[in-house]
Amino acid sequence: MINNDTALMAHLLRRAGFGASRTELEGYMAMGYDGAVDALLNPSDPGNMPDDLIRRYHVEQSELRDLAGSAAYWMYRMISTTCPMEEKIALFWHGLFATGYAKLNQARSLLNQVEMFRRSGLGSFENLLVELSKDPAMIVWLDNNENHGSAINENYGRELLELFSMGIGNYTEDDIKECSRAFTGWTLGNAEYMAVRASKDSIWPYGRIAWHFDYRDEDHDDGEKTFLGETGKFNGEDIISIIAKQESTARFVATRLFQFFAADEVTEAGDKAIQEMIATYFSSGYQIRDMLRTLFHTEYFRSDEARFSRVKGPVEMVVGAIRMSGNYQNPALGIEKVSDTMLYMGQGLLQPPTVEGWHEGSEWIDSGALVERVNFAAKELSDVRSPGVRSIIDRLQASTDDGVLEPSDLADRCLDLLGPIEVSDETHSVLVDYANRQGALDLNGHQPGDSAEQRVGNMLRLVAATREYQLA
Amino acid sequence: MSTQSTSSNIALDYVKTIGIVNNGFNGRGFANPYDIVVDTAGRIFVLNRCDPARAAAIRVGICTLDDEYLGEFGKGSGTAGGQFVWPVAMALDSQDRIFITDEHSHRITIYNTSGEYISHWGKVGAGDGELDGPAGVTVDSSGDLFVVDQHNSRVQKFTRDGKFIVNWGSFGGSDGQFNLPWGVAVDGEDNVYVSDWRNDRIQKFGNNGEFLASFGSSGQSKGQFRRPTSVAVDSEGFIYVADWGNERVQVLGPDGSFELLLQGEATMSKWGEEYLASNPEEKAEREISNLRPVLPDHLNTPYHISSQTEPYFWGPVSVSLDNQGRLYVTETNRHRFQVYQKR
Repeated sequence: MINNDTALMAHLLRRAGFGASRTELEGYMAMGYDGAVDALLNPSDPGNMPDDLIRRYHVEQSELRDLAGSAAYWMYRMISTTCPMEEKIALFWHGLFATGYAKLNQARSLLNQVEMFRRSGLGSFENLLVELSKDPAMIVWLDNNENHGSAINENYGRELLELFSMGIGNYTEDDIKECSRAFTGWTLGNAEYMAVRASKDSIWPYGRIAWHFDYRDEDHDDGEKTFLGETGKFNGEDIISIIAKQESTARFVATRLFQFFAADEVTEAGDKAIQEMIATYFSSGYQIRDMLRTLFHTEYFRSDEARFSRVKGPVEMVVGAIRMSGNYQNPALGIEKVSDTMLYMGQGLLQPPTVEGWHEGSEWIDSGALVERVNFAAKELSDVRSPGVRSIIDRLQASTDDGVLEPSDLADRCLDLLGPIEVSDETHSVLVDYANRQGALDLNGHQPGDSAEQRVGNMLRLVAATREYQLA
Repeated sequence: MSTQSTSSNIALDYVKTIGIVNNGFNGRGFANPYDIVVDTAGRIFVLNRCDPARAAAIRVGICTLDDEYLGEFGKGSGTAGGQFVWPVAMALDSQDRIFITDEHSHRITIYNTSGEYISHWGKVGAGDGELDGPAGVTVDSSGDLFVVDQHNSRVQKFTRDGKFIVNWGSFGGSDGQFNLPWGVAVDGEDNVYVSDWRNDRIQKFGNNGEFLASFGSSGQSKGQFRRPTSVAVDSEGFIYVADWGNERVQVLGPDGSFELLLQGEATMSKWGEEYLASNPEEKAEREISNLRPVLPDHLNTPYHISSQTEPYFWGPVSVSLDNQGRLYVTETNRHRFQVYQKR
């Protein structure tokens, strides 16, 4: 029987993090649910693998010239952090404000954008949009460096309204033009040279040169603008201030947060949670942290309906499995191959397919991606040399009086320690049938890699291959 | 903008920059260089660490101070004889043999300066003479070899043929202890200097490991360090430190007192000029750009500043000296080295 408090905490950590080992789970359980929510939403010392260690051993993650090393760098952060919400919110904004390497050829600046999401992603949405508008990677991604006072480029202005805040149908074409005028002059330092280098994918003579924001007053259209019914000599900050106070913006942000942190589909009960988040958006001064606190405390989020109601994204799948296995806690060759694995599953970090980001939910699953997902998780969780798996074996032994597990207990306790994961009766009987083939498991005197441990590894492999393991 | 402090005791004049990023597997240019040695003929040997995507190109490139690229040697990535996985540092002995450490394969590989693979030795472990992540390496006047055994938190002394002589050190922050040490050098009296990387200091020992002194502490002030990677000592006893985490080089007096600070002042290398000459559009935009920008507060760290201030050191991982009073600063992230001449 799964303890409901444990199951609820595990549910929270699958959403506000990447799942949790039993040791992590116990740490959060000690805080109580409210304390855990507060701890997750107020990241302090992330405790992740320090940059100096990463840079010492991985020259590619020190220079960050190419995509592979940069994605691997972020992987390390996600795998090793003790503040998983910090990485999870960065991943959320990375999917929503999707900026990709292909056009930029500038991974360092993409990672600077991700760092900005860590820094500002739980704060005021208004401030976040200002930071986003000053982000050099976004500026080049949506051509705001081509948005001049003398000739506007509407690309950023359009997406700011359509994809990043209010959503289509809540503004006019004239609003897009006026919005774009307000962001003229918002560019990056040495914009022309950097644009040439980006377009040619030039690394010469001395590797990449990272980017920074630059405001060119002489290129800014300082004239009067009318935007969403308000008139003034608006600059970009003024436009964002108007955007932030729109009801449509509140609904947009609340819905996207809900779909990432609560459920792929919005049911009637889910919509009630969204309404509460919208109210918090306004009452808190657009604070994302407060909206999420509201969400995590809603009746809906804490209900059975919300559990396992999301398909894990590839990044969640891979990072969650590695955090459970305990691998890659120190710099090691091969981390770049792990980030490649996520790409094969359909989600390459720093390379969203378009500015719309990834299509999530059930669209993560197709036959090819499913094979990749199952193979990866099964391999990662069945290796009895991994520290996390060794910990599971020790816990299994400690859970018995005599070191012997009945087959059904082996299945149930593996499900418990990998989650708890709730599975269908059909799945459960498959797992128990498999365990029954070899009878009771005697873990007394087990040695690394022996047949007893391997039986645990095989059961974990089977659990990782279940339909239910694909869900968060 | 001055990128060098001054000292009444020592002056270093910037000479030139050599290098260009090498994106392929052959030809001039460097791929994440990690160390340099210079032979008596003035030939400059550059160890290319390379990233995983270019691992097959792990090699030693050879050039001259006159920008002539002479070629390269190596057998690519792997654990066969003459191959490397994560090469770290080099030392040159009086018999024109180059000792190259590999922190992944736990071995020392020996080539001669003609580029011929000679042999390798090293066994992973924590016993006497065994290695766990060999990093810095140097040779004293007797031809004995000192290897920084980073994960064993010690320095080991070997004969030139790899026979164990002595070792010292343990994990910690007290005198004579280490935390992931990296570089090593000897002075004219064969004292041994170790860049104690994660303790942010340089430690000085006698030739057989007796602790003599410790220089520096954690920080960004003069005489303080942030993850020093490499150390070199000239004939007058001046101590050169690659203050990697602060993206700078510092020079200490023989007593460890602060003397000089270099931030880097790279100019366009000859190879870079040739690239720009064949890419006029890029050259034209570059010439009107400001490559010493003032950055927003959130990017105001040495790493970020160097990532977009091209003349500055970025990843200054190694300091090397030749017998003409020149200092070579190897920059991993910029695929080049800057040369300074002691006045």
